[in-house]
Amino acid sequence: MSKTFDRFASIAFLLIGLLFVIESRSISQSAYGSSVGPNIFPTALGVILILLSIRLLFETTKYEHGERIKEPVQYVKFLIIFISAIIYAAILEPLGYVISTFLFLLIAFQTMERGKWISTIVIASAFSFGVYYFFAEFLGGSLPGFPQF
Amino acid sequence: MSTLDFLFNGFAVAFQWQNILFAFVGVLIGTAVGVLPGIGPMSGVALLIPVTATLTSGMPTEAAAASSIILLAGVYYGAMYGGSTTSILLNTPGESSSVVTTLDGYQMAKQGRAGAALSIAAIGSFIAGIVSLIGLVLLAEPLSNVALKFGPAEYFSLMLLGLCAVSGLAGKSMTKALIMTVFGLLLATIGIDAVSGIARFTYDLPILYSGLEFLTIAVGLFALGEVFKTVLERDKEDGAIAKIERILPTKQDLKDSAKPIVRGSLMGFFIGVLPGAGATLASFFSYVAERKFSKHPEKFGKGAIEGVAGPESANNAASGGAMIPLLTLGIPGSGTTAILMGALIMYNIQPGPLLFDDHPEVAWGLIASMFIGNLMLLVLNMPLVKVFAKIIQTPKKYLLPIIIAISFFGVYAVQYTTFDLYLLLACGVLGYFLAKNDYPLAPLVLALVLGPMIENNMRRALTISNGDFSIFVSKPLSLVFILAAVAWLVVPLIMKLKGRNVIINDEE
Repeated sequence: MSKTFDRFASIAFLLIGLLFVIESRSISQSAYGSSVGPNIFPTALGVILILLSIRLLFETTKYEHGERIKEPVQYVKFLIIFISAIIYAAILEPLGYVISTFLFLLIAFQTMERGKWISTIVIASAFSFGVYYFFAEFLGGSLPGFPQF
Repeated sequence: MSTLDFLFNGFAVAFQWQNILFAFVGVLIGTAVGVLPGIGPMSGVALLIPVTATLTSGMPTEAAAASSIILLAGVYYGAMYGGSTTSILLNTPGESSSVVTTLDGYQMAKQGRAGAALSIAAIGSFIAGIVSLIGLVLLAEPLSNVALKFGPAEYFSLMLLGLCAVSGLAGKSMTKALIMTVFGLLLATIGIDAVSGIARFTYDLPILYSGLEFLTIAVGLFALGEVFKTVLERDKEDGAIAKIERILPTKQDLKDSAKPIVRGSLMGFFIGVLPGAGATLASFFSYVAERKFSKHPEKFGKGAIEGVAGPESANNAASGGAMIPLLTLGIPGSGTTAILMGALIMYNIQPGPLLFDDHPEVAWGLIASMFIGNLMLLVLNMPLVKVFAKIIQTPKKYLLPIIIAISFFGVYAVQYTTFDLYLLLACGVLGYFLAKNDYPLAPLVLALVLGPMIENNMRRALTISNGDFSIFVSKPLSLVFILAAVAWLVVPLIMKLKGRNVIINDEE
């Protein structure tokens, strides 16, 4: 258990609860013949979330100062894959499914482990072409296939 | 029509060629999901929803729903089968419900009895699957008839009970579990309010009007969260895989495991029916019980076949039992059944008491297909045990990026928006950090699915009572549900205060 994370999380959830309570006030009260409008449920939940967050915050003060085992974390690998996934999402529509998926898989495979270019290219192209043709051509689904000029 | 007629019609649905194929693909993928460490049944089912949605896109709604739920349920119970393989061969459980199987299963493998352990696990799972199906057939009609008499107040309280049960048993900290539940309920309020038609928390963004898509969040939290975790923290070298020599168990093995299988199946089924208590608890209880019943308790932990047969039957029976509250009451009792329910709702089919009347082919087709699926699993697993053991060696460097690509494809193919892809990635990061710090994800998904239903029932009940909240305690059934819900939360607290260890249910 990480004290810092739990503190941060409890404050974050507290703010989320507060946000929902405040924003619920601006929801129209009208309920068309019912005495309970659309704002009651989120308001009540927001209040409960605030109370629970305060309790979690209180609980973190009781955590024992245990030795934290540091696990080796591969930030660089993760960040490269994550950022390329964001770029993948961004270029999916303009560049089309096949090219963007191929590029993403190529980068991700090589990030996981360098080398073996031939097998990564084969698997990446088989997956991107295979999925596209199976889905768009064979099943008749709609995917942006290739860039439109 | 009597139950038998319905069951017969169900078999007619399940025996359509595409449904046999779907059941086969489902159990096959499920076994692979169970075998692969890192992908549990929950992320497996979530990832396959978009795939089944596209596969069935040409069919009429009801047939499509039946086919895809047949496939997805196959993944669910297939994973329960496959989970035992890694426990026995590698001493690493493929999913949490197979944790206790490692205790005796791996010892058996070390003694050269891996084949016997695997086949007993398969036979036990098969018998358990059949037992839970018989239970499902017997209980489905009466339960849904009772549920038909429920009004909105009863439904609200029952769903509250379901949420409390899952939160009370999930994870190490109940506060965290409750936070996840409430957070999920809040996320479910985003979008157009179904009762009044007023947009809530949308900030005039059209993309938010339909709410956050449940599928995107589930795939992000479970599948991507798990992938990110493995990318960040992997490089734990897997141990050596035990060799499989003789596959068939000996007569003595069969004799020793007959009773544990029956006990495990019955116990697992009833534990599975209870909301919140899933397959993990069932296998754990079964192991403890077998050690108590055994004439040689000292053999446990040293390769007793009873310690494999009981828990493996129990976790499979529990996954069958968990279908009962989902199908008859419309209330999922675990994370995976919540995802199955989300899949049904995507097809505009509402699980619950009316399911058996409105969509008998979906309900009974699913039940019948589970018979067939279990049979397929037995036939598949006995000879193919060695092949499945090979799947464990799939290199992660190919597997992980492909899981990301499948999630992207799945979400985009269903939603057609890039917004959902960004949401997917955000949920992946969120899922990683939350799971790492013991925030259980299952309650969040469950709350997200149940949220709109809870709110609508609450408001309908309050409309009936003219805004008087006492309607929830003045109706006797509703009061019972609320008291039970409170008990689920309070009893573990009291036990903790008394210094007793509380068994908790892991993600499944």
